[in-house]
Amino acid sequence: MNVLSLALLALLAPAAAAAVLAVVPVLRRHGWPAAAVCVLGSTVSFAAALAILARSLDDPGPHQQVVPWLKASSTAVAEVGVRVDGVVAAMLVVVTLVALCVQVFSLGYMHDEPRPGYGRYFAYHALFLLSMNVLVVAPNLLQLFVGWELVGVTSYLLIGFYYRKPSAARAALKAFWVTKFADMGFLIGLFVLFVASGSFGWDAKLAPGVATVVTLLFFLAVVGKSAQFPLHVWLPDAMEGPTPVSALLHAATMVAAGVFLVVRADPLFAQAPDTRSIMLGLGAATALFAACLALVQTDIKKVLAYSTCSQLGYMIAALGAGSALAGFFHLTTHAFFKALLFLAAGSAIHAVHSNDIRDMGGLARRMPLTTAAFVAGALALAGIPGLSGFFSKDMVLEAVEGKLGSVPWAALLLTAFLTAFYMGRVVFVAFFGTPSGPAAEHAHEPGWSMRGPLLVLTVLAVGAGLLARPFATLYGAEYHFAMGAGPTLAAALALGGFTLAYVVFGRARGQEPGVTAWVARLAETSAIDRFYELTYRRVALVVADGLGWFDRYVVDGLINVLGYSTLEAGSRVRGIQTGFAPDYVLAAMLGVVGLAFWAVLR
Amino acid sequence: METLAFSVVAACALLSAIAVVRSLDLVHAVLWLGVTLFATAALYAMLGASFIAGVQVLLYVGGVITLMIIGVMMTRRQSGAAARLERRWSEPAALAALAIFGTVTWAVVATDGLDAPAPPPAPSAADLGRALLHDHLLAFETVSMLLLAAMVGAIVISRRRDPGAVAKRPPVRAASASPVAPATSAEAAE
Amino acid sequence: MTLSTCLVLAAALFSIGVYGLLSRRQLVAILLSVELMANAGNIVFIAFSHFRGGSLGQVFTIFSLALTVAEVVVGLALVLLLYRRHGDTQVGLASEMKG
Repeated sequence: MNVLSLALLALLAPAAAAAVLAVVPVLRRHGWPAAAVCVLGSTVSFAAALAILARSLDDPGPHQQVVPWLKASSTAVAEVGVRVDGVVAAMLVVVTLVALCVQVFSLGYMHDEPRPGYGRYFAYHALFLLSMNVLVVAPNLLQLFVGWELVGVTSYLLIGFYYRKPSAARAALKAFWVTKFADMGFLIGLFVLFVASGSFGWDAKLAPGVATVVTLLFFLAVVGKSAQFPLHVWLPDAMEGPTPVSALLHAATMVAAGVFLVVRADPLFAQAPDTRSIMLGLGAATALFAACLALVQTDIKKVLAYSTCSQLGYMIAALGAGSALAGFFHLTTHAFFKALLFLAAGSAIHAVHSNDIRDMGGLARRMPLTTAAFVAGALALAGIPGLSGFFSKDMVLEAVEGKLGSVPWAALLLTAFLTAFYMGRVVFVAFFGTPSGPAAEHAHEPGWSMRGPLLVLTVLAVGAGLLARPFATLYGAEYHFAMGAGPTLAAALALGGFTLAYVVFGRARGQEPGVTAWVARLAETSAIDRFYELTYRRVALVVADGLGWFDRYVVDGLINVLGYSTLEAGSRVRGIQTGFAPDYVLAAMLGVVGLAFWAVLR
Repeated sequence: METLAFSVVAACALLSAIAVVRSLDLVHAVLWLGVTLFATAALYAMLGASFIAGVQVLLYVGGVITLMIIGVMMTRRQSGAAARLERRWSEPAALAALAIFGTVTWAVVATDGLDAPAPPPAPSAADLGRALLHDHLLAFETVSMLLLAAMVGAIVISRRRDPGAVAKRPPVRAASASPVAPATSAEAAE
Repeated sequence: MTLSTCLVLAAALFSIGVYGLLSRRQLVAILLSVELMANAGNIVFIAFSHFRGGSLGQVFTIFSLALTVAEVVVGLALVLLLYRRHGDTQVGLASEMKG
């Protein structure tokens, strides 16, 4: 099988799983058959992705096969198909691997769900994997957009999985609306791109102004999808979904789609240095801002959510600095360790039946594997030397250094320190110290379906740094690592952050010291939320009401007046028909007179 | 001499025509029409169409007037009194009539060279017969068909549908001259 | 007796017939007025035939006579019908087409 067929297989396996699960409700109703179908599809997809990776290491050249889809004129054709190159191979493995781990983890985690819900959950997962694959193998931006939107829909479905819970339903809608608003940018960008270059490909040569416009529009979509300031507000709320969903969509894959878009469209962004500057600034700012917010969260998932925001900021900053390789590599390592963190957190949540770190404490003794997994993930995230995150962060910092007066670089360094600090806080409060309550005392390790993925991801989170060189080769660039000033500084900051966390929280009894209480003020994203809500209520609703009034009274009124006046006129005119024959004769006679007159006059 | 005769005949025709449309008694009106038709026949004779004049008297005066009288008699009220007709003038009708008269007269007057010097010889009955049966044979035959159709149609229209219908109809009315309110038959048709 | 005079006479008779047609309420009376109008038309034909020559005018008159008679026949049948429906020959009674 050649790579293209493999890619197609990677696409079709989850597609078939999703289709089967959609069409045969029996499978979903009993729960476990749906899970089996979904996991089977994902396994096939993962195997195909591995095969593609193996082939691509020898032959990274882009392979592409497309078929025409929409035809506007003989020259204007939209195509869909499959494209395989180094970037696709790597991303496909990441996506399918993390998806498979999450799905296997879910087998145990979601075990207590009622059977139909269990089945529905896995059906959605199959749909998600399909959508993400469509996005990854897209040969042009149009298909990427299709995958983008599909992913948005599945995210909505999965965030709102507990649809009976009002907060979950609201969160799902919020995610959908915010990202939909951002997707406007993608769509309009596509239009402009097509008009300017006649195709949806990313290797078009555009005039500088046009390139800036197009890339800015795409960047708007990225800001939404990858939860950058100010459209980050949906991501914390998205934690309403089941934890494995948060691990897969809102840490590893979906939010990374924005980064992936920029990596794909790198030729376009290269023509727009202004956009890149904006990306650099915004990414760094978001990274710092989100790290601050992560400091004061008590919900373990919200900590991880803001952490994701922050790390995405790193990736965006790297892309803005011009190094797509750095951004992409960080995406990969982040997928591994963030998913690991989420799954380990899920294990802990499952054990104590609460998301709040204050309900945990001392879990290390009772759940050693989970603790080890979480700590490994935390260290990787913080960028402790040797772990995967260290190498990818270093790449990012190296790319960003010197640009825009090194202000973003300094911000990212500070963020690294804060990252280590807040992760340390969670580690020490939740996993060390003494248990805070009966639930924490009785915590125990989960079953093997949950432990297996934790192990796999731990290995990857720790060791992915070694993959940097082959990764770079796949991307088509060189990679050298040297423990120079930059990496040393970053490592020092990370270690310092952890140390400080130990000092502040290490001896806590699973409690929060009071000092951070006032810092919680800073935390509130509700400021932004309130701003949005105000805008929505004062502006959008008012405008909508006005338009509604206009529609009802002016537009409808016009039609009603027309109808009414027709009826009235008809009613009046009807009086001419008296039914009295001589009246008709009179009318005829008058007509005759008129005609005679006219005939005579001519 | 000729002019006098013409004037007399013309006056006769006009006055009796006015009587037709203004007479209050229907039978009188029919009879006045007879006078008008007679006058017209005399006019035809003066205009050299003696055959037509004869036909006019036969057909119109004899046939049509007789038919009319029969029709009037058949549609009288049981009481025997004839229907009263209108007294008042009708303004719109007069207006229309005057308009038409005015238009035609003006057309006639405005056309020059209408009055030829000498009237050519009038066609004889033999000429007429030849013209009918030779030049205008198709029209002649068609008109015969039409007469047949008219006869059959009249019979069909005025046929009595079902014997019960007559019993349902309220033929006896109060002896007032004003038009009755729509009868039950009219209401049934609504 | 000139052609114009005859025509004017015919026009007068026709107009009188129009007046009767439009102002009378009895169906029979209306038929009488129609007769007058048809007659006036015939006068025109004959006049032209006399003053301009040719037999066409008289031929037309023959046909006109026939047609008028046919029309009277059908008209009287309608009078009978009207009488049977409403017990009276007032033309205002046949107003089902009102509105």
